[in-house]
Amino acid sequence: MAAITRALRFIHKDAGSIIFLLLVLLVTIAGCRLTQSAFTRTAGNAGSAFAAASTTLTYVHEGKISKAYAASSFVNYTSELDGLDQTLPSQTGVPDAGTLQRLLNLYKPAMEVIHSPCLDESCDWRAQVAALDSASKAFLEVSNS
Amino acid sequence: MKKWFGLALGIVTATGGFLDAGTVATSGEAGAKYGLGLIWAILVATVAVILLVEMSGRFAAVSKKAYASAIREEFGFKFYLLPLLSELIAESLLLAAEIGGIAIALSLFTGISWHYLFPVAALLVWIMAWRAPFSLIENGPALLGLLTLSFVVAIVALGGLPKELLPTLWKPEIKSGELADYLYLVAAILGATISPYLLYFYSSGAREEKWTEGSLLLNRVTAIVGMGFGSLGSIALVVLGAIVLQPLNISSSTLGELGLAMAKPFGQIGAFLFAAALFATCLGAALEVVLAVSYNIAQGFGWEWGENKKPVEAPRFNLVLLLFLLIAVGIGLLGMDPLQLALLASTVIALFLPFSLSPLLVIMNDQDYLGNKTNGRFINIAMIVILIIAFLVAIVSLPLEILSGGG
Amino acid sequence: MPDSEEQLLVMRDIMDSQLETRDKRHIGRVADIEAEWRDDGKFVLVNIVTGPEALTGRVASRLRPMARFLLRGHFEHRIPLSDVENFGPTVRLRKKAQDYSVGQSDRWIADHILRWIPGNGR
Repeated sequence: MAAITRALRFIHKDAGSIIFLLLVLLVTIAGCRLTQSAFTRTAGNAGSAFAAASTTLTYVHEGKISKAYAASSFVNYTSELDGLDQTLPSQTGVPDAGTLQRLLNLYKPAMEVIHSPCLDESCDWRAQVAALDSASKAFLEVSNS
Repeated sequence: MKKWFGLALGIVTATGGFLDAGTVATSGEAGAKYGLGLIWAILVATVAVILLVEMSGRFAAVSKKAYASAIREEFGFKFYLLPLLSELIAESLLLAAEIGGIAIALSLFTGISWHYLFPVAALLVWIMAWRAPFSLIENGPALLGLLTLSFVVAIVALGGLPKELLPTLWKPEIKSGELADYLYLVAAILGATISPYLLYFYSSGAREEKWTEGSLLLNRVTAIVGMGFGSLGSIALVVLGAIVLQPLNISSSTLGELGLAMAKPFGQIGAFLFAAALFATCLGAALEVVLAVSYNIAQGFGWEWGENKKPVEAPRFNLVLLLFLLIAVGIGLLGMDPLQLALLASTVIALFLPFSLSPLLVIMNDQDYLGNKTNGRFINIAMIVILIIAFLVAIVSLPLEILSGGG
Repeated sequence: MPDSEEQLLVMRDIMDSQLETRDKRHIGRVADIEAEWRDDGKFVLVNIVTGPEALTGRVASRLRPMARFLLRGHFEHRIPLSDVENFGPTVRLRKKAQDYSVGQSDRWIADHILRWIPGNGR
C-alpha cells in the first residue's frame, strides 16, 4: 500500500519534471530542422545592420535625425558588426571561398564607415552610403540564397 | 469629478505599463521581419494580460493582501520559493534591459554611448524608488508614456497601412529556416507582455492606494481600457516596422533603428518623440520591476514594505530594492545590447510563466480571501487556456532561444 | 477574539501567517511551531517560531543542522502562545513591535546601512 502511494507521488512530482524536460528535448531535436545555418543568420543580420547604418547616415544628412542620434546609433552598429571578418569564415554553412572573399572585400570599407561615419558636410558622405549599401546588398543576397 | 480623474489616470498608467523595453523590442523586430504576421500574438497576449491585471487588482482590493503574501499563505514557504526564484532570475535580466532602454534613450538625445549612461539611468531609477511617493511613480512616467500615441499618428502621416501588407495578418511570410526565429518571437512577445511582475506590482499598488471592494469597477475599466490602449501602441510599432523598416531590409535589432521609422514622417521631432517615449516607458517599467521584486520578497517574508513609507520605516524592503538594482547594474555592465537583453529576458519569463501564473488560478477561487468575489466560470476557463498557452510557450522557448541564436 | 477557545484551528491558520504587532507593524511570518505533548495527553502549542533557521528546516530537514551551524540560533525567535491575540492569515500579537527581538534586523539595517544614504527619513 505504501509502495503504491510512493509510486503515485513519484509520478506526480518527479515524473512531471521528467516529462517537461523530455518535451523540451524533443522540441530541440525537431527544431534543428527549422533553423538556418549559423552563417546564413550572421550574414543576414550583418546585411540588415549595414542597411540600418546606410539609412541612418542618409537621414542625418537629410536633417531627419540629429547628429547625436546618429552618433549613438553608430556606436551600436559597431558592436553589432565588429569582428565579423574573424567569425564568419569558420561558421557552419559558409559558402565557397570566392563568395566569402567577395563579402570580406566589401566588409572592410563598410566597417571603416561604421567606425568613422561622416556626420557633417566636411567629407564625402555619399560615397560612405554607397559602401554601406554594397556591403548590405551582398550580405543579404548570400543569406537569402 | 475626482472619480473620473482617478479613472483617467488609471487608464493612462495601464497604457504606459503595457509598453516597456521588452514589448518595444519584440514589436519592432516583429514588424521589420514578418510584417503584420505577429499581431495575433500581441492580441492573444493582450487578452491574457487584461485578465491577469484585473484579477490581481480585484484580489488585492477585496482580500487586502498582495499577491506574494497570498502565495506564501496559501501554499506554504517551500512552494513560494519556486515563483520567487524564477522571478529573481527573470526580473534581474529584465531590469537590466529596462535600465539599458533608458540609457539608449538618453544616448539618442545626447550622442554619448549608452554604456556610459547606463549607471546614470540606474541612479535615476534608484532615486525615484528611494524617495518618490507611490503616486508619482505610478503617474509620472505614465503621463510621459502618452507619447506612444504619436506612433499611431506617424502611421497616418505615412499614408496608413498599405493594402499589400494586410494578407500578412493571417498568412505571415516565413522563409525556409526562419520558422524557429518566428516562433521565438511569438514566445518573446508573450513573455514580454504577460510579465508576472505586473501581478506583484498591481496587487501591491492596490494596497498602496488602499483600494477596497468599492474600487472593483475602477479596477476593471482600468485593466480593459488601459491595457487595450497600451497594446495599440505596441501594434503601432509593429506596423511602423512593417511599413518603414522592412522595405529597407532593416531588421530593428537595436532600439535606435526603430526610431528611424518615426524619423521618416516627422524628421527630428519624430526621432525625439520616439526617444522620449522609450525613456518614459522604460523608466516606468524599471520602477515597476524593481518594486515588484522588492514587494515580492518583503511580503513573502512578512517584512514592513511600502513606497509611501519613509525608507527607515521599511528598512529591509528598501535594502532589497537597492541590492536588486545593483545586481541588474552588474548584468547590464556585461555589455549586452539592451534590445537583445530584452528579448532574452522575455523568453526566460516565457519559460517560467506556468510557475508564476498557476498560483493565481488557485488563489482567485479561494473564498477565504475573496468572499463572493471569486472568479466566475468564464474567467476560470480563460485562465486555464492562458496557462496551457503559457505551458506550451515555456516548452518551446528555451530550445528556440538556443536554436535561433537569440533572434 | 473572545471565543478563540471554541475555534478549531488548522495548520493553514497558523503556518506562514503574517505576524502583526499591536501597533500594526509587520515583523515577519510564522516559520514553524513548537508544541508539547504533555503527560495528561494534551498536545499544546507552546511557541511560534520565526527566522531563517526555521525556514531552512522547512525547505529540507537535511539543511537544518547546517543552518544551526551557520546561524547558531542568533536569528531564531520564539513567540509564546500567550502573546497571540488571534490566528488567521494575519496573527495578531499583544505587544508592540519594539517588545519583540525579531524586529531588530530592521532597526540594525536602518541604523547601520541606511543612515549613510541621504534622504532616509531618520
